[in-house]
Amino acid sequence: MSFEKIVDIIVDTVHCKPEDVKPESELAALGVGSLEAITVIFELEEAFDIEIPNEVIPSIVTVNDILTRLEEARQ
Amino acid sequence: MSRSVVISGLGVISAAGQDVPAFWDSLKSGRSAIRPMQPAVDGVKITTAAQLQDYQPEEHFSAEDLSLLDRYAQMAVIAAREAVADAGLAKDDAALAGAAAIVGSGCCAKNTDEDTCIQLYQKERKRVHPLTIPKGMPSAAASMVSYHLGIKGPAFVLSSACSSGSHAIIQGMSMISSGMADVAVVGATDAPFTFGLLKSWDALRVVSADTCRPFSKDRSGLILGEGAAMLVLESREHAEQRGATIYAELAGCGMSSDAGHITRPDVEGISTAMTQAMQQAGIAAGELDYINAHGTGTQLNDATETQAIQRVLGEHAENVAISSTKAIHGHALGASSALELVATALTMKHGIIPPTVNYSEADEECPLDYVPNSAREQTVDTAISNSFAFGGLNAVIALKKIK
Repeated sequence: MSFEKIVDIIVDTVHCKPEDVKPESELAALGVGSLEAITVIFELEEAFDIEIPNEVIPSIVTVNDILTRLEEARQ
Repeated sequence: MSRSVVISGLGVISAAGQDVPAFWDSLKSGRSAIRPMQPAVDGVKITTAAQLQDYQPEEHFSAEDLSLLDRYAQMAVIAAREAVADAGLAKDDAALAGAAAIVGSGCCAKNTDEDTCIQLYQKERKRVHPLTIPKGMPSAAASMVSYHLGIKGPAFVLSSACSSGSHAIIQGMSMISSGMADVAVVGATDAPFTFGLLKSWDALRVVSADTCRPFSKDRSGLILGEGAAMLVLESREHAEQRGATIYAELAGCGMSSDAGHITRPDVEGISTAMTQAMQQAGIAAGELDYINAHGTGTQLNDATETQAIQRVLGEHAENVAISSTKAIHGHALGASSALELVATALTMKHGIIPPTVNYSEADEECPLDYVPNSAREQTVDTAISNSFAFGGLNAVIALKKIK
């Protein structure tokens, strides 16, 4: 469920193909630059009612990293 | 027609000092004006800022005047009054009657805009104050500077985010150089502490959680500031004829646009503007004494600016003194570049380079001389002031001491 929502957010932000968004995909390779990254994080915070602090953003490189941070934020 | 343009008056109102002497004292002492936000704003992550302390508008303006003065226009008028007095001029002097008044601002009258929105949309009032338009129009600061100082030449506000001040100063310089005006009162103002703007800066995730550390490895973002700086520019001939005290010659300017990423600075664009300014001023790489850097304290800006300095100056990059005064007066957005040109003119006058404060750790990406933490006594005959704006708008001004 979370993964599908993340895929939706990334696709809506950078207009890539949904099938290209895999857990191991690097965000930069999908077209997520610095501005797209803060947009994706904003949408994640809205969708999951969480807060992702600035300090953790540099550690988010792959889609899997988003899932990890999401789990951390929910705990 | 191309005439030499000089700076003959300075005026400042800033968190780091509400007039030029107080501002200079903070700069040379390396005393940062960054403090906890007052009042703290609920729902905003930004907790520190460089705000005016104990500022009382009533000490500067009548109640009638204040009904037309947004905070950003108040500060522009206060700084312009000081600059004009410093130049030995007074309201309604003939020299001012034909002068230009050009004011830069990134945010303009946002305080009035947001107050109006709160009244209408939150409090559901049926009416707005009848002076909302003249008080809140983006051009109000130029009108108010004109009105309060009897300036009757060309007057307008221009906006180019964090380069607004430099663009306004360059516009005044061009008018004087071309013969369109003999005198110009130029600079910039910004008052960005509104709830909407604070929320918007929060969302962009470039504001530091604690403080501004330009060029230091542990830098974590910019710190917002507010204020205004205005300068009196005039043709060298005009200044000398009336026996004005000259701070420096505005010897060159460079302007470029990145046409690229909306927030990421670009080495090419920055280098182009720096090179133009130095070439116009006739300053060779090895002759440049000081750079007042844009130096916002974000990871990206400071590394990119350093690369541009290395590209433009080559082997001389290691010999030039560079400082960012933003850790002292905060990033007052459009006003910053005007505050920093005043800082640069004062540096040349006093022979003291203000430090880059809060510098704690060398960064391999920023390996130059940033005058860390303590001011340095050094003769400065040539200097540039760098300004780079979101949207890729770069403006650089070169100053030379007149001997």
